[in-house]
Amino acid sequence: MKIEWTSTVFTLVAFIILYVLLNKYAFKPLFSIMEKRKELVLGQMQDAEENRKQASQLLEDQKAALQAARKDAYDIIEQAKTTGSKQADELIATAKSESNRLKEEAVRDIESEKNKAVAALRSQVSGMSVMIASKIIEKQIDEKSQEQLVAEYLKEVGDKA
Amino acid sequence: MHEAPIIKLGGFNIDISIVTMLIVTCVVVFILARLAVRNLSVENPGKLQNFMEWAVEFVQGMISSTMDFKKGKVFVSLGMTLMMFILVGNLLGLPFGIVTEYSEPGHKIFGQEITTVNAAAFEAIHEKKPDVEHPHIGVAWWKSPTADVNVTMGLAFLIFCIVHFLGMTRNTKAYFKSYIEPFPVFFPIKFIEVFSNLLTHGMRLYGNIFAGEVLISVLLGAGVFGIPGLIIWQGFSIFVGCIQAFVFTMLTMVYISHAVEDHSAEH
Repeated sequence: MKIEWTSTVFTLVAFIILYVLLNKYAFKPLFSIMEKRKELVLGQMQDAEENRKQASQLLEDQKAALQAARKDAYDIIEQAKTTGSKQADELIATAKSESNRLKEEAVRDIESEKNKAVAALRSQVSGMSVMIASKIIEKQIDEKSQEQLVAEYLKEVGDKA
Repeated sequence: MHEAPIIKLGGFNIDISIVTMLIVTCVVVFILARLAVRNLSVENPGKLQNFMEWAVEFVQGMISSTMDFKKGKVFVSLGMTLMMFILVGNLLGLPFGIVTEYSEPGHKIFGQEITTVNAAAFEAIHEKKPDVEHPHIGVAWWKSPTADVNVTMGLAFLIFCIVHFLGMTRNTKAYFKSYIEPFPVFFPIKFIEVFSNLLTHGMRLYGNIFAGEVLISVLLGAGVFGIPGLIIWQGFSIFVGCIQAFVFTMLTMVYISHAVEDHSAEH
């Protein structure tokens, strides 16, 4: 270990020159690049954050839209169901009333036909009964009865007289 | 132990090996840094650029662990230069060494006699060990610049100046107050502490690297049997070199933080 102060001076000079040169030709560009990268990364992170926010917003919107669409579909189905059942009820009601009407008409027709038939029958029966009666009378009024009848008539006449 | 190749030039003792190694270290560091920033790119950094950015972030971490990073931002370049300079300096002496052996005085370089190999030096050896017939003097031309106490103390002195200049200009009141805190009685201790910090700052680095080189030369002297130890010690020396570069830079940041941060607010 020998003290040579000239070496110390050389060291100082060499180190200071090295410091100045490195600062100018190496560190300044390096630091500026690192600064730029930092900014780039920060910018990208901000972008990413914004994108994430937008994406979540979009997702929220989509969810809401989906919900609305689902609700609409449900409403439509519900409406269709009620309309359908209403129509069915109406149809059934109409069919019932129609059938009732038809039944009543039929009953009425039957009634009137019956009445007509009865009326026709009655007129025929009276004619026929007269015919039958005249026939029976023709047949049964023989001598004996004729005599009896005459007798009767006479008697009556006599009595009256 | 090897001598340093010192010549006298205009009345000054100049250590050629230190000058050479300082230049080599500076050139290596500069080339490394230039290679790293050759194709700078924001989005697609190369391998060296990545490594350099990692180093910068490492130094930034060191600074922000000791002081407010807004105040310490300007010291990133200083920390990077220190780290790279010391690391490269520490590692330069590991792979090989250049040693010349002289058995007689009167060798010259750049037209100047090497003062550590002059007649007086041989006489001194002869006086110490009279039984050696042909004394040799080994001169080391290639070694770690940080294995020289003048270099490490130079660096420590630079940091010392920076720290105390910052303390006096940025934090004047707190700086001078710190010498007499908590009681004026402590002034001698505080004063000694300042210089012991300077001394330990430089000596720690020197001692570690110098010891490493000494052990390497000892192991080299052991010949074939030294090879396993040499392999292990070279590996360990790389580790020590990294650690010492880190420690020196870290201590620098700690001292600077003491100087620039206002500690009176904590009391």
